[in-house]
Amino acid sequence: MAKKNGSLNRRGFLKGAAAGAAASAASLVTNTSPAEAQRGGNAAAPVPAPTQEQIARDAGVVRPPATVRAVQRPGSDLMVQVLKDMGLEYVAGNPGSSFEGLQESFINYGNPPNRMPEFITALHEESAVTMAHGYAKAEGKPMIALLHGTIGVQHAAMSIYQAYYDRTPVLMITGRDEGFIQAHTAHDMSAMVRSFTKWDAQPRTLEESLTALQHAYNEAITPPMGPTLVVLDTEFQKEEARELKVPAYRPPQIAGIDAGKAKEIAEALLDAQNPRTEVRRLRTPQGVKLSVELAELVGASTGTGATTGPMSFPQRHPLCGPGASTAYDYTLGLEIPAAQASIIGPGLATLLARDTANVGFGGIVPVAGGRGARGGAGATNAAAIQADAEASLPLLIEEVKRQLTADKRRVIEERKAKHAEANRKARIEAITQAVETKRNGWDSSPVATARIYAELWPLIKNEDWCLASPSGFSGGHHVQLWDHNKPYSYLGGQGAGGMGYGAPASVGAALAAKSRNRIVINIQTDGDLNYAPGVLWTAVHHKLPMLTIMHNNRAWHQELMFVEYMCGVRGRGTDRGHIGTSLRDPFIDYAKMAAGYGMASEGPISDPSKLAAAFKRGLDSVKRGEPYLIDVITQPR
Amino acid sequence: MKTILGIAVFLLTSMLPIYAQRGNTQAPTSPVTGSAANGKALYYSYSCYACHGYNGETGRAFVGNWSANLANEENFIRFLRGRANVAPLTPSTSMPNFAENTLSDKQAKDIYAYIRTFKNAQPDLKNILLLNQIVEDASKPSTR
Ligand SMILES: Cc1ncc(C[n+]2csc(CCOP(=O)(O)OP(=O)(O)O)c2C)c(N)n1
Ligand SMILES: [Mg+2]
Repeated sequence: MAKKNGSLNRRGFLKGAAAGAAASAASLVTNTSPAEAQRGGNAAAPVPAPTQEQIARDAGVVRPPATVRAVQRPGSDLMVQVLKDMGLEYVAGNPGSSFEGLQESFINYGNPPNRMPEFITALHEESAVTMAHGYAKAEGKPMIALLHGTIGVQHAAMSIYQAYYDRTPVLMITGRDEGFIQAHTAHDMSAMVRSFTKWDAQPRTLEESLTALQHAYNEAITPPMGPTLVVLDTEFQKEEARELKVPAYRPPQIAGIDAGKAKEIAEALLDAQNPRTEVRRLRTPQGVKLSVELAELVGASTGTGATTGPMSFPQRHPLCGPGASTAYDYTLGLEIPAAQASIIGPGLATLLARDTANVGFGGIVPVAGGRGARGGAGATNAAAIQADAEASLPLLIEEVKRQLTADKRRVIEERKAKHAEANRKARIEAITQAVETKRNGWDSSPVATARIYAELWPLIKNEDWCLASPSGFSGGHHVQLWDHNKPYSYLGGQGAGGMGYGAPASVGAALAAKSRNRIVINIQTDGDLNYAPGVLWTAVHHKLPMLTIMHNNRAWHQELMFVEYMCGVRGRGTDRGHIGTSLRDPFIDYAKMAAGYGMASEGPISDPSKLAAAFKRGLDSVKRGEPYLIDVITQPR
Repeated sequence: MKTILGIAVFLLTSMLPIYAQRGNTQAPTSPVTGSAANGKALYYSYSCYACHGYNGETGRAFVGNWSANLANEENFIRFLRGRANVAPLTPSTSMPNFAENTLSDKQAKDIYAYIRTFKNAQPDLKNILLLNQIVEDASKPSTR
């Protein structure tokens, strides 16, 4: 620690206060012997008697001097200013003394206070990080998750891993207080999550803390994107900053392809008779815009990942689809391997050195014969260029424009018209086929999952909507029935298959949606919600535009099927397969659960003819800024 | 790797559109000797509904798509007994094996009797306005 200026005194005081608190707590517990109280506490060390001052603080009766502010310019104000300068919209967390200084700045510093970022009250650290995960998938940029020292970081661990595996940027901050509660500090706070955190720092001065926040933000948004963590000591949060300047923020330079490559690819795209672009998950909405511009300039039919995840090519764009002919003579892949050329940003394998615990996460560590996974090793085929696709597009577009001739333009315009017509026909054909299977169990009770998606679509198709929850367990019927035209139309899977994701990710997406006149749809599986349902309260508290429709099959159904299969393989009968896999005896009442958190709700509904009216009520509520939950009892799959 | 496979498996299995092989659209007419009432309880307690839906119309649906395995009681029992019992150990949603000591012939016949009460209740496509509208929209430019 470089700067202590007087903080030692304060630290000594706080240490005493902690011990004092423990001692007074012990003496308050009647029927408990002092020895027992000791065992429940920390160590067997003798507890010094608290001073009057310590007891007073603990009881909350100390008043600060009325006229003099203890600190004129607290370090945490500068921290918040740094976050403001980077355009961070939200910070989600629940209170912890390790960042009380910072929290005070979040809510009081600035004009107006508590804006950019706004404090979002999260009821669990896992929820805070997953909110940030969902927000980043919708918006292509991070928000902050604020975690209490040690224990808050531990609570957040799975969600940090999931965001990491999903290559999604999250800026995490944790506090560190050596003096107050020993159990909530650590020499190296980030160590417990370092193996799945992209970058972390534990700065030694206030000044370093400020630059660390900027560095962490830039690392988070530089591919491979991921969660980053800054440990902020309480003493830097609370110290008098005096004349210290807030460092100017400089965004990162993200490397794209070089001019030579851009020229070569542009030439190939323009020379081709039937060029194609394949677009998968880009980093930001800007990347999506650029991918459209490129496809339009060269008249390429385009494949999209918009039905499986965010930040891809608009599905109903006239160029999206197989095109007039599938005999493509030049295919360019953007963040996906393709026949002739692919531009693919670095994968998580480039971060392997950070796997300090040597965990060897599957799908990140290349495994012989293993399948590629989301966390993937980045470029995989010989033709692939390891560079961020989004950052490559401006140069590529510039090159194409430079090389375009009037003749080429004419040919391209003709080709585009043919593609548009062919893609329209292909869409009609696909949907005509799809609806045949979507009517399976149309009138059945409990409700068939396809009916939920079919009933919802006409009510949202003219809205700006975002489906934020993973849809695999509820049949993924939007893939065929809905149009995915926005970078955030569908935010895709959990990332690492970790349950407890749908609701908090939807809350995060709804944070993004709120100021953008957008609504968020959360088709929520029951097992997933029960990990940390407190996010429902967060949605209500912050008036988030989120419609939750339960896919309530009263089970961790995926696992029920697995266990049932196992029972069969072992010849022991499937009649006990429900043990530990089903959520019955009693059934959980989600409308009541939501109501308990203050959310408008209805259900359970098991008659499909009642869905449309309920969905309409729900959407009306959501558009008023009041989130809504509809419990629908569903067929399991 | 196991984790990843697990994730891949459950994501894939849950994403797969469920098309059974084309079977008979007409329900079998073979004799039924079991008790449908008992069968109903067994269909639930043995978690048949888990994959085939409460009405046999969803998930791995069989109503309106009756396979030869469901043509009569004998076929059904042979099918239950013949399911793979030496199977890959990776998590699977394929049909489990039902050995006789875990599900008697009588119980199987009861389940069969219950299944045979299932009716093909889905409306004709032409009567489902919602789905027709979606098909119609596909020929127009997207609204958003
Ligand atoms: C954190 C975590 N714990 C356990 C699992 C194992 N798991 C995979 S799917 C699943 C069941 C999910 O149940 P639900 O969300 O209700 O969806 P359903 O399959 O019922 O449609 C579980 C528990 C997991 N993926 N993540
Ligand atoms: Mg469930």
